[in-house]
Amino acid sequence: MYTFNFRRASNLEEAQQLHQSSSDAVYVSGGMTLIPSLKLRLASPDDVVDLSRIDGLSAISSADGVLSVGAMARHCDVAATTDIPALAALANRIGDAQVRNRGTIGGSLANNDPAADYPAAVLGLGATIHTNRRTIAGDDFFVDLFETALDDGEIIMRVDFPTPKRAAYAKFANQASKYAVVGVMVAETDSGVRVGVTGAGACAFRLTSFEDALSTNMSASALAGIDVDSSDFNSDLHASAAYRGSLVTVMAKQAVEQLTA
Amino acid sequence: MEEQGEFVIPASPQDVWDALQKPDILKECIDGCEEMTVTEEGIFACVVAIKVGPVKARFTGTVKMVEPKPPHSYVLEVSARGGGAGFGSGRAEVNLQEVPEGTTLSYVVKGTIGGKLAQIGTRLFQSFSRKMTRTFFDRFSQRWVR
Repeated sequence: MYTFNFRRASNLEEAQQLHQSSSDAVYVSGGMTLIPSLKLRLASPDDVVDLSRIDGLSAISSADGVLSVGAMARHCDVAATTDIPALAALANRIGDAQVRNRGTIGGSLANNDPAADYPAAVLGLGATIHTNRRTIAGDDFFVDLFETALDDGEIIMRVDFPTPKRAAYAKFANQASKYAVVGVMVAETDSGVRVGVTGAGACAFRLTSFEDALSTNMSASALAGIDVDSSDFNSDLHASAAYRGSLVTVMAKQAVEQLTA
Repeated sequence: MEEQGEFVIPASPQDVWDALQKPDILKECIDGCEEMTVTEEGIFACVVAIKVGPVKARFTGTVKMVEPKPPHSYVLEVSARGGGAGFGSGRAEVNLQEVPEGTTLSYVVKGTIGGKLAQIGTRLFQSFSRKMTRTFFDRFSQRWVR
């Protein structure tokens, strides 16, 4: 590791102030992406502002059909919830036990890795993201590769997931990292059928062609023959763009089968 | 890795060619470009700060224009070093073709990355280079739209 200042904030105002007063600062929540990057010296900020001691950021509560998950809630905390079984199951398949014991939902969303699981849940379940400055609809949150609607220094406080009528998540995981090569969340919500896809593109997205088909017929067969445009999909040593395109359909069908079982 | 694409720019091939030779225009269009200077005829030196997710590194590089055929085509040879983060090199063939809407610029890029960046970066390299390329041509085209 190289030398940097570790700043532990005790409240939101202090965290923002520490971030603003530095020319090159970064927030750390669980550190499951940041710390390995620092170790490899792929990033070398002057100041690392720790959010873990801020009160109330890790609370999980449920009221009026909404599961409210604090940004600092760890994946294992979300995996232990019972309100939305598909969300708990998704959290339980992130990384390995060590990652689930440290990594947080806020950190994952702010990082917006194209292969992270939570973005599919935010889009698929129609979640809302509350920051220290405003409320952002999940549909508007993911902008591009590692890019979100968050402004510099903005902090996610909690994520509100409306409880769906039924939902299921299916993913084809990379065997080593457990990142989603492709993951699909299918949900029947009060505002209609939603399909959130992660791993395939530069960032997670909704697949409206699937949503339309499943709205009239919630069955795997409804997805047969719907073309998935994979021209902009990711291509790497794990999977070609065309293969990811095919996986989107396969994973969506698996999710529908789970959901209707 | 190999990447190709094309963009239509609302200007004549000669105007596009001229703009592509100007360091200040290149600097303006490359996301994160902090410096761009001509060191000698057809050779540019640049500093580009790259930020992608957790990775934040400053690359210094040279871009050499070879086989220029104004205003139709050229080849760029790029090499860059990013301190401890890694290094990269690449070759881009650029073709300009006159069309009714202006100029179609098509390119084929072949590149490799090495060092620590390559250890964890291959998963993201293609998406990132595609994003950089699109940003470049979006900004470049905007010059004639406004």
